[in-house]
Amino acid sequence: MTFATKIDKQLVQALLEALDNNQTEQACSLIDELTQLRESELYHQLNQLSQNLHQTLDSLEDDAPVLMHAKHDIPDVAERLQYVITETQKASEATLSSTELVLNQLEQLRQQVQDKTVSEINALPLIEQACSELTNIMMAQSFQDLTGQVLNRVIYIMTDLEESLRSLIERSKFDFHAIPDRELTDEQRRESEARGLGPSITAKGKQDTIATQEDIDDLLGDLGI
Amino acid sequence: MKILIVDDFSAMRRIVKTLLSELGFSNYDEADDGATAWPLIKTGNYGFIVSDWNMPKMTGIELLQHVRADAQLKATPFLLITAEAKRSQILGAAQSGVDGYLVKPFTAAILNNEIEKIFKRLTEQKNA
Repeated sequence: MTFATKIDKQLVQALLEALDNNQTEQACSLIDELTQLRESELYHQLNQLSQNLHQTLDSLEDDAPVLMHAKHDIPDVAERLQYVITETQKASEATLSSTELVLNQLEQLRQQVQDKTVSEINALPLIEQACSELTNIMMAQSFQDLTGQVLNRVIYIMTDLEESLRSLIERSKFDFHAIPDRELTDEQRRESEARGLGPSITAKGKQDTIATQEDIDDLLGDLGI
Repeated sequence: MKILIVDDFSAMRRIVKTLLSELGFSNYDEADDGATAWPLIKTGNYGFIVSDWNMPKMTGIELLQHVRADAQLKATPFLLITAEAKRSQILGAAQSGVDGYLVKPFTAAILNNEIEKIFKRLTEQKNA
């Protein structure tokens, strides 16, 4: 039974009458009575929640998935993701360095052809260096195998953790489906968009996005940009 | 013309630099976020700013607003290159006075096209 259904209508009626008749002392006492009723209801609900949570945690086995995740998997998720950032950055830098060298070697060759100074002696070393840099670019892509394995492991941990948390919530007699949607106020939405949301990759994140550069150009074109 | 490239990821700065070189631009400076870029812009006499949106300390949109609010710098052409693609964000950038908006990932041809459009429009405005 909620607080609203427990309110004694007679008590409210008496309060209104006391206020109408300027019986301040009587009104204050009635307000105290109503407040006390609310406080005791809140206390009761909190107590119930706390009991449920204790009972649920007590009923967990020592090796329950949620406890194992909390102790063994979650602490190193950040470390695993940091590894992915470091490795992709290393690969990206290596690829860019080799690409810049190949572009430079091709530019030298282009210049030699244009000036008609190209010969076996000066062209061959440039071509060999370019081949070697292209092999370096290919080898730098090996990061994908390692980071892919790490990311698959993180996805597995997060999916398993989601399942364990959901089960914990349900065991503590909380209705998972009753958890409301996350609603942002216009102000909160504007603030988060101004900070930047990153690439829109989830179905929810893709809402209200403009997919192609052509569509963005059209939209800006309409505004005279 | 001197160009300032602002992005918190060094790889993206190198990509933009290489593409700009191919377009014949060779004079540029780099900054890794808006807060580092702003003092450079105030003294650097840049003819063009290319900036990411999502960066720590000061975002690209804040940097754009700083530039547009400064009497000396407000006419500097400003291109945002970003992964942010919400309709409201693009409209917000337009309201803040952006000259071009390029969504990541992009190709060399698209960057070329965007830069040509910006300078063509600015020349037309100057001549009008």
